[in-house]
Amino acid sequence: MSADYAHLCSAIVEQCFGKVSQAVSDCLFSATTRTLSQIANATKFSRKEVGLALSVLIKFRLVCFEASKLNPFVPEYSLRRLDILCLLRYPRYIHMVQTKYGNVGASIAEELINAGSDTASAILIKCLSEGDTKADGAESYRNTFLQMITDHYIIKRPELILSEEQDEVMPKFESNECDYFRHPNIDLQLIEKIRRGEATFAEAGDSAMIWNINYDRFHQDFRDSIMIDSIERKLGENASECFRFILKIMYKTTDPWQRKLSNQITFVDIKQTIEKKSNNLDLMKHLDQYISLLTDDSLGFLRRVGDMGGGLYVVDMEHAFQSLAFACIESVITERFSSKAARIFRVIRFKKFIEQEDLQKEAMIPAKEAKSLAYNLFQEQFIHVKAIKKAGGGGNGLAKAFYLFQIKEKDSVRMLLDICYKSLYNTIERSNFEKNEHKGLIEKSQRLDSIVETMKERGESDEYIAEIVETFTPPEVEILNKVKHRIKTLSKAELTMDQTIFLLQMYQHHCTILPTGIGKYK
Amino acid sequence: MAAEVANLLLSVIQGIPAGATNDDLTKALSDVPAATRVEGLNILLQQGGIEILKKGEKLVYRAKDPEKKSALPKDADNEEKIVYGIVEEGVNKGIWIRDIRMKSNLNMTQLNKILKNLETKKLIKAVKSVNASKKKVYMLYNLEPDRSITGGAWYQDQDFEVEFVDVLNQQCLRFLQMKRENAEKKRDGPLALKQLSCCTVNDVHKFISDLGISKVTLDEDDLETILKTVVYDGNAERIMQQDGSYVYRAVNLPLPPTGLVQMPCGICPVIKNCSNCGDVTAIKCQYMKEWLE
Repeated sequence: MSADYAHLCSAIVEQCFGKVSQAVSDCLFSATTRTLSQIANATKFSRKEVGLALSVLIKFRLVCFEASKLNPFVPEYSLRRLDILCLLRYPRYIHMVQTKYGNVGASIAEELINAGSDTASAILIKCLSEGDTKADGAESYRNTFLQMITDHYIIKRPELILSEEQDEVMPKFESNECDYFRHPNIDLQLIEKIRRGEATFAEAGDSAMIWNINYDRFHQDFRDSIMIDSIERKLGENASECFRFILKIMYKTTDPWQRKLSNQITFVDIKQTIEKKSNNLDLMKHLDQYISLLTDDSLGFLRRVGDMGGGLYVVDMEHAFQSLAFACIESVITERFSSKAARIFRVIRFKKFIEQEDLQKEAMIPAKEAKSLAYNLFQEQFIHVKAIKKAGGGGNGLAKAFYLFQIKEKDSVRMLLDICYKSLYNTIERSNFEKNEHKGLIEKSQRLDSIVETMKERGESDEYIAEIVETFTPPEVEILNKVKHRIKTLSKAELTMDQTIFLLQMYQHHCTILPTGIGKYK
Repeated sequence: MAAEVANLLLSVIQGIPAGATNDDLTKALSDVPAATRVEGLNILLQQGGIEILKKGEKLVYRAKDPEKKSALPKDADNEEKIVYGIVEEGVNKGIWIRDIRMKSNLNMTQLNKILKNLETKKLIKAVKSVNASKKKVYMLYNLEPDRSITGGAWYQDQDFEVEFVDVLNQQCLRFLQMKRENAEKKRDGPLALKQLSCCTVNDVHKFISDLGISKVTLDEDDLETILKTVVYDGNAERIMQQDGSYVYRAVNLPLPPTGLVQMPCGICPVIKNCSNCGDVTAIKCQYMKEWLE
């Protein structure tokens, strides 16, 4: 957790929930847990305001609370720091649901995301009253909702236990793993009644069952697509299709977020699945060859561990994300320094430890250039130096020492992640700045649009409308377009940047023992 | 008398390649008095036909290689002989002037004079090392300097030929890619494709020689180093065969250019200094401004 990440979180929370929530989240970010009065004291907001902000953050699952150990009647709040970044991934989540479940799914996901968490009936009512998607019917909405639960894209929050004793301040929750994805009863007729105003929400009877977007199920798909895409780039379409099936088989027996290795998969299993589900003849014919291609490749996604069942394989997540993280770091070095610098980086990576002299010989780069590139890389912490001192020297003259370049990829990844956080923060800052700078103009254009809209509705003459539109002068239009373009570029950069962050976070999950908070049930 | 004894002595010493001890000589020439024998040995030493070595406590006489001796003219004085001997020991790696001084115990001016003298006689030569441009090393005139001194094919005088290496690197890559494209056209299954797209160093060597882009002749080791740079550029893979040799094959990078470098912050040289205050901020950033224009 770095200062850069703290800034980024603060900016994201401000953008999504406003100033008070930002102050609350900042206050919680720097502490493990705080009580309500501590937060109110620190932020100088009233208890009521802080309480409201906390409830919003809790609804969006960014804050969780627990009874204090000292005083069981006082709840202590803590921030789920790593989840804040997920707020920026919402467009990606919705896009993914759209490709999987079509527009119906997308509107469910959108409502769920906007609400943070809500009951099934409330979500469906909101979706249905959207209007333009009425043709699909309530039934298809319900079915898609249930399907999304089955596929784990939506998860239930722990249910509140209603106790008879009223004196308990802290609510208690029942969390039962097998209960997370149990289908709710959705009464479509009742929903229709509620929509017409003939019944109330209280009658729906599912107020205790609150649903959420299950971030990590989406992350699992993102991760798979990174791996599959990289195999396609390197080994071609058939190999990537083969790997997609292997992942599918893997999920049957392995927790998707198991850190290093998957459980074992047999060749027979892969073969049967592909014969059943795929109609790619070339893949079926050469399946054994594709598998050996995958195991022999330097990316190391798949590893053969035994001969049982025609061959026993494991998916090596650790090796896979190590290779991918290196590819990512190398790509940054190529762009930031030069391709020669990337060459130097790779030489060090292959040789593990190497001296300056050998480095330039191995990389075939003139001594001066190699030195300057290596020192630049060292200065920016992409590579590190290990000094091995020879004993002796004893005061007279310099003790002999060897300076060896090496790569500490965990440090480099963390450094790169911090740069990503900083850059992401910069895009948000810059886009806020652009919006503020041209606030008057943007507001004016919005006002104008709404005026024109109402005039059209009233059926005013076209000439009159054109006259009104002309009050927006051409230079103003030009500036506005420019600003719009800038904001668009920035938000596009935000999304692509997030892909790098995601990859590096996956590295941290699979190749280190750092706590990442990623799990099947969050 | 002494000269005859000397010849006799030489033939005896030459008969024992490991070197003859004093006992060997007395045994072989039992009728020659010790004084005459010593005189004979002195003549041989003066002529440079033999050398004296110390083996444990005993002195050993060994015949010198007559071919080596012939390079140095007869009129050379002792100092020259010693310096020449030291330079000779350096073989094709050469020897630094400071090391010669240490070994010969001569002072600098005298040594310089001798070296210059030997150089004008074309007995030795000075070669500049690529590792340190100021450092001169001496070696015998007829020797080809070692690779570590000249840097091999990649150096023209002292300079590393960057363009030459780059061109070769590109050509090697082109060859590997061509091979891969050809392999992709044949549809014999994935493993066959992989095998067909692999090249040995020999293949590449042939291709480069036929191309005729190199003025100097390159051997396979030279091309191996070039192929390694292609691997280090991430454009190829080096795969070990079962017999321990390596083959090379062109590959694609597994990732497209990462998202971070698609905005100026990813390649910003001052990102370390970037913060909310001071001169480097997201609002004032010049790179950002140019990018958004």
